[in-house]
Parts: sequence; C-alpha cells; structure tokens
Amino acid sequence: MSTEKVKKLKFKVQRFNPEEDRAPHLQEFIVPVIHGMTMLDALFYIKENLDSSLSFRSSCRMAICGSCGMLINNYPYLACHTQIEELKAETLEIKPLPNFAVIKDLVPNILPMGLKHRSIKPYIIRPDAQEMENPTAEFCQKPEELNSFLQFSYCVKCGICISACPTSASDKLFLGPQALTQCYRYCADTRDNGTKDRFPVVDTDHGVWHCHLAGACSEACPKGLDPALGIQLLKRLLVTRALGIGRKQPLVPIVLPPTVSKLKIAAPEFSVPPIQRET
Amino acid sequence: MRRMRHTYVWFAQLVTAALIAAFLGIHMVLMHLEDILGFFGVEIHEPTSWGSMIERAGKGSWLAFYILFLAFVVYHGLNGLRGILLELMPSPKVERVINWTIIALGVIAFALGTYVPVALFQS
Repeated sequence: MSTEKVKKLKFKVQRFNPEEDRAPHLQEFIVPVIHGMTMLDALFYIKENLDSSLSFRSSCRMAICGSCGMLINNYPYLACHTQIEELKAETLEIKPLPNFAVIKDLVPNILPMGLKHRSIKPYIIRPDAQEMENPTAEFCQKPEELNSFLQFSYCVKCGICISACPTSASDKLFLGPQALTQCYRYCADTRDNGTKDRFPVVDTDHGVWHCHLAGACSEACPKGLDPALGIQLLKRLLVTRALGIGRKQPLVPIVLPPTVSKLKIAAPEFSVPPIQRET
Repeated sequence: MRRMRHTYVWFAQLVTAALIAAFLGIHMVLMHLEDILGFFGVEIHEPTSWGSMIERAGKGSWLAFYILFLAFVVYHGLNGLRGILLELMPSPKVERVINWTIIALGVIAFALGTYVPVALFQS
C-alpha cells in the first residue's frame, strides 16, 4: 500500500463551450494531489475521473511541444512544466491563455500566432537555391555566430509570450513577441540572406516599433528565452541597416563535412565562394 | 531594400527625445534657474522680464533655437500620440485618418507656434 502523502486541492477550471454557453464560467473540482504532480497531471485526472468533457491541449508532457500553455492563478505557464506543490496554493484557478480567442474550455485559438509567425518567413533564405534544394556540402558557421541567435531558436511556439504582452492585449494587429523574436533569429543567422523579405513585414506601425519593452514576454517565457532582447536587437538591426552603418557579415561559406575532408579530398575545390549578404 | 519609412520615423522619435532634453535644459537654465547660474558666477538680469524677452526676440540665434525646439516637440509629441491611437484603434482604415489628422495638427501647431517669434524678430 502506498504511503505517499495525498493532499486534496480545489481546482477552478474555466469552462466554455461556444455551442452551448453564452459566457465562460468556472467549474470546481477537488483533485487529490501527490508529490511530483504537474498541473497537466491534475487536468488529466479531472478528465479521466471527474469530467470527460473538459478540453485542453497537450502532447509531449516535457515542455518541448508548447501545447499546454494556460493561465494558472493569473500567470501563464506550461501546464506540464508546472509542479502543483511549487505554486503553494490551496485553490488553483485555471483559464485559457489571454490575448487569444477561446475555441473550447482551455483551448486557445493560436491560428493568428501561426499566421504572424509564417509572415516573417521563419526559414533560411539564400540566393543559391540549387544548393538549398540539393545540398552538396555543409554550412561553415562559427560557434560565436551560432551563439548570437541560439537562445531564440529554442522557442516552442507556446504563445505564452503573446499572452503576457500588454501590446498584444491592446493591438490585435501587433505581430507579437513570438514572431518578432523569430524574425531576429533568422535575420541574425549568418546562413540566411532573407532580411529584404522580412524587414518590410516587421517595419510597420504594428510591427517591431510597437513594442514598448514591457519585458513581460521575457518574464513569462517557460523556455527561459529573452524575447524582449530579441526585439531590441531586431530594432538595432533595422536602424543600422536603414542608416547604412554597422558591420555587414558575409554569408557563411559552404564546405565539405569533416568526415569527407579526412579522406584527403581537397576541400577548397568544393567550397563555394562567400556571398555578400544583401542589404 | 525598401525605404524603411517606419524605421526612420522611430529613429527620429529617439533623436528628438534627446534633442528635447538638451533644448529644454538650455531653456530652463537660462530662463528659470538664474539663481543657479548666479551660483556659478554667470549673471543674467531678469531673463523673464519684458525687456529681456524683446531683446532676445531680435536675435536670429534665439529665433532658430525656439523654432527648432518647437519642431522637435511637435514631432515627438504628435508622433507619440499617433502611436497610442494606432494601438488603441488597430484598423487599416482608421490608420489613414489618424495619420492625416496628426499631420494636419502638426502643421497647424507649428505654423501658430512659429508665428509669434518670427513676427517679433521682424518687428
């Protein structure tokens, strides 16, 4: 018989079914909580034992997929990454992420975030399309070049930064910290040459210049990213480009992978000459 | 590369903020803090009196100073107001109305503001 200490906590979960309800309301559940239990575990307990109609998103259960973002006691968290004990509360109120429309219960409509993310072209853009389609070698990117944007590539698109952003709350056209940070992530990548495609998207009244630097995105990000920093670096990139100042890095060269080089194949024969990044 | 209009608009907002701080500092020290200047040995005799004002109004340097000061304040203030309004009313249709209203307000404010120092300078 298990001797694990069980504590019963009250969960107030926001319920809303647009087909039946006129407005969202809170429903109370009593959940037995044990040591090590996450908010997502508690939601699964409710769904499996108390009310199977409860809707929420989840997938990986390890803060990788970014599916289970929700507002817990008025703070946005990933439910799978939040230990109930650490919240030190007798009552837990769970609502869907703010700044998104609600599809049902705790499921936000993240389509606008996806569209804004897609608008900044979140992929490597290069002039050598042939090499991109049929790669013959590898990008030779230095570790320090990688480090200049590495933290921003850890974004899991959970939408928590947008839910915390005061500008996103008032301006529905604002691109939001997620898309803007990803814009910087690709513009800062020395393998990329797509600034001329991305700058017109972010250089608008509802783009990068509408960030007030509240910093709420960085405070809330469950992956420890600093989107506010990314947005400021993007601003600097735009200003230096507009004024024609600052260092312009060439695109990283393409070279043979080390394993092939060891076979004494002359690497320079295969290397592609550096391409100047477009300004 | 596209013209990057919004980048220039925002950069000008930063530059005018710094210039307003400098110009406002000069204005405050010379017009209202003569006691502090006196502490450092610089004597300005009643800078806010009518006679002092008329004397300054006849100098081209002061005319240029106040017209530039006004331009920086009008741009910075109205562009800030425009940003607030665009955030509160995010709509492409409203955006055009806001932009032209702000431009019209700026032109009127600048014209009215420059009229007095120019008229005094010419008199």
